[in-house]
This record gives sequence, C-alpha cells and structure tokens, in this order.
Amino acid sequence: MTFTVYLPLLLPVLVALAARQLTDRARPRAAVLALVAASVLTAAASVWSLLLLVLTLFDDLPAMVALDSRPGVHLPEPVPDRVAVTAAVVLAACLLNLARDVHRHRSTARRLRDAGPAAGGVVVADWDEPLAVAVPGRPGQVLMTTGMVRVLDADERRAVLAHERAHLAHRHHLAVLLTSAAASVNPLLRPARDAVSFLVERWADEEAAAGLGNRDLVARAVARAALATADFRTPAPALGVHGGVIVRRVKALHRPAPTTATWRLALPAAAVIACLVLEANATLDFVDVLRAWLTN
Amino acid sequence: MGPVRAGNLWRMSDEEAGRRRARGELESEVMTALWAAGEPLTPAGVQAALGGELAYNTVLTILIRLLEKELVRRGPADRGRGHAYWPAQDAATLTATRMRAALDERPDRQAVLQQFAAGLEADDVQMLRALLAEREA
Repeated sequence: MTFTVYLPLLLPVLVALAARQLTDRARPRAAVLALVAASVLTAAASVWSLLLLVLTLFDDLPAMVALDSRPGVHLPEPVPDRVAVTAAVVLAACLLNLARDVHRHRSTARRLRDAGPAAGGVVVADWDEPLAVAVPGRPGQVLMTTGMVRVLDADERRAVLAHERAHLAHRHHLAVLLTSAAASVNPLLRPARDAVSFLVERWADEEAAAGLGNRDLVARAVARAALATADFRTPAPALGVHGGVIVRRVKALHRPAPTTATWRLALPAAAVIACLVLEANATLDFVDVLRAWLTN
Repeated sequence: MGPVRAGNLWRMSDEEAGRRRARGELESEVMTALWAAGEPLTPAGVQAALGGELAYNTVLTILIRLLEKELVRRGPADRGRGHAYWPAQDAATLTATRMRAALDERPDRQAVLQQFAAGLEADDVQMLRALLAEREA
C-alpha cells in the first residue's frame, strides 16, 4: 500500500482551513452544513485508513504465518508491522475518545431535560447566575435562570428565547455533537469543531434577528446577556474558542446578514472528494495485496 | 384513504403546530415577565410589562393556563378588583437545584454554556458596555 492510505489522515487540514475561511464570511447555515458534512466524512476516512492499516496485520495470524513460511513463497510486505500496530493503538484510542465524547454530551442533556415543568417550552430556574441553555430532546426545552430573566427587558428576553428556540428547531446540538465526535477521531478537525460551535450561535442569532425583524435588538440582547454572565463570575478561559466571540457576534449583527459565495464551499468539498478517491484507491490496493497473499 | 386526504391531514397538523408554537411563546413570555417583575402583577400589569401588544383577554387566558399548570399562584390584588399573579417558587427552586447538580459536575461546564458565557475578556466587557451605551444614547 502506498501513500494513499496515509494521506486521508492529513486531509482534515483542508477542512480546518475551510473552517477559518467560512467563519466570518459565509451564511452561518451554509457554513455549518458544509463543515459538519466535511468533518464527518473526513473523520470516517481517517477511521477507514487506520482500519486498513490494522487489517494488514492479518499475515501475522498463525494460519497465515504457516503459509508465509512455505518455501518458495514471496509475499509483498505492504505495511511494516510497527506501523500497523501503531495504527491499531491509535484507532482504539480514537474510538474510546469518540464513545466518551458522545456519552458526555448525552448525559448532561438528559439530566437537564428533567429539570422542571415548562411553560411554552421554557423552564425557569430560580438561580441568580444568569444562564440560558437550549436542552435538546422531544420536545426540546429552554432553561433560563431568574438571574438571566431579570437583566433583560421584555424585548431582549424575546430575542434570547428566539435564539435558544432556533438552536432547538435546527438541531444545533447534533451539529456540535457530530463535529465534536469527528474531532475526537482526528485532532486535526478541532478547528472545524470550534468553528461549528461558534457558527451555530451565529446561525441562531441570525434566525432570531430574522424572526423578530430587528438585528439591533438581538445584538443588544446578546451583549447584555454576556455582560451579566461576566459580572456574575470571572469566566474560565473558554475551551478552544478564541476570546472575543461575543464581540464578534455582536459586530456581525451590526452588519447586514451575510450571503454565501458558492466558491467558498469548494475547499471542504475538495477535502471530501480527495478523501473518497484516496480511500477507494487504498482499499483497492488492500484487496490486491490480500488476493496476492491468498493465492500464493 | 388516498394521498389527497393524507395531504390535508398534514396541512392541518402543520397549522395546528403553528398555533401551538405561538401559544407556547406567549406562555413563556408571560411566565418570564412575572419572574422579571419580582412582585405580583395583575393581568393589566403583565400586559404593560410585555409592551402592551397583547389583548387583555389573551393575557388573562394565558395566566389561567399557567395557574392550571401550577406554575403561577394568585391572590387578591392590592387595589381594585381581580387577582394578582406571581410565579410559583417551589418548582423553580427545584429546577435550580437540579440544574446546578447537572452542571457542577461538568469539568467543561463552560463548553456546555458556551452560548453567552464564552470567553469574555476585560477588553470585550469594555467594548460591549460601550456598544450598549452607544445604541441607547
């Protein structure tokens, strides 16, 4: 097997580049959909590549070793055992990471889901810390603390609720879950994961602004909610999200709604196509090696 | 039994869903307005708190629905006739306890709550304050 099996492990770099390109310049909806699809497919390609590498160990099975040692048989050595064993370890770590990640996401959502009775899909918690969270489920709910309710005026509350409802309506938790899972398989996808968790906020902001017909109002609500949160507790450094995300959201709302130039979606598409081609190639190589082995 | 009928049913349920969603939004607006007020409000008070866009009867209907769900309580209004409404404390306290328990054991609490809590630095705070002041001026 040649480089075609290794290259897909590196191609997520293109997705990360695309994430950076798309973040401030495309419609959040288009950018999220493109990045989720590209992340999931390239992560799947990474898993497939590792799996192919691991499978080359089959010549170490006792039966195969016996076959190997027949006199006069020369077998191709496609992948050094050292590489294959490393691939096995990496693959196991990836899958463990993935399982842990998915479990973590789901368990918090499950616990928040049963927090209390809802009025029109909104559950109020009597707690001074200003928080508003969309809790996915059937049906989804918005959890809002009295701390948040009290710092906003009626219009701003409407904006924050519209924002949270947009998260639920468009299943943003799935986008975050999928890219997070993809990044846990291949760490090169982390920038894409971070971009998606920022972009779903932008998407919800845009949706709230469109629904209420008032971009300034949503900007004000976002700023006010963030300030209240900052007043309440000194924020820990946000995980993987560069500082200033709130400011970026507010500024984006002060500009007209972005439109997407289609060519910007070319980079993630190219990454996916390259992965598919390379994987097809690597798989055929693998089949060839397998056939050579078994017919010898 | 044909596709036409199925289509009709689908459309009806869509409309129904739309109505229900709108009603839900009103319920949540009334509910949060009561919490924001911090004191019992008459239906007229709720109406005013929400910017006076809703009809009095609509507000009253929603309050009674919330009363039936035991999410609000009511007592005689201070002055005049009728009732004043306030949010039920017990459910919200219990909710807060559960919410705290669910969040506090998360090492990456920040990531769960990323929406508004994400990385606000000192510069950001100043800038946002300035933006708010500018827009209000």
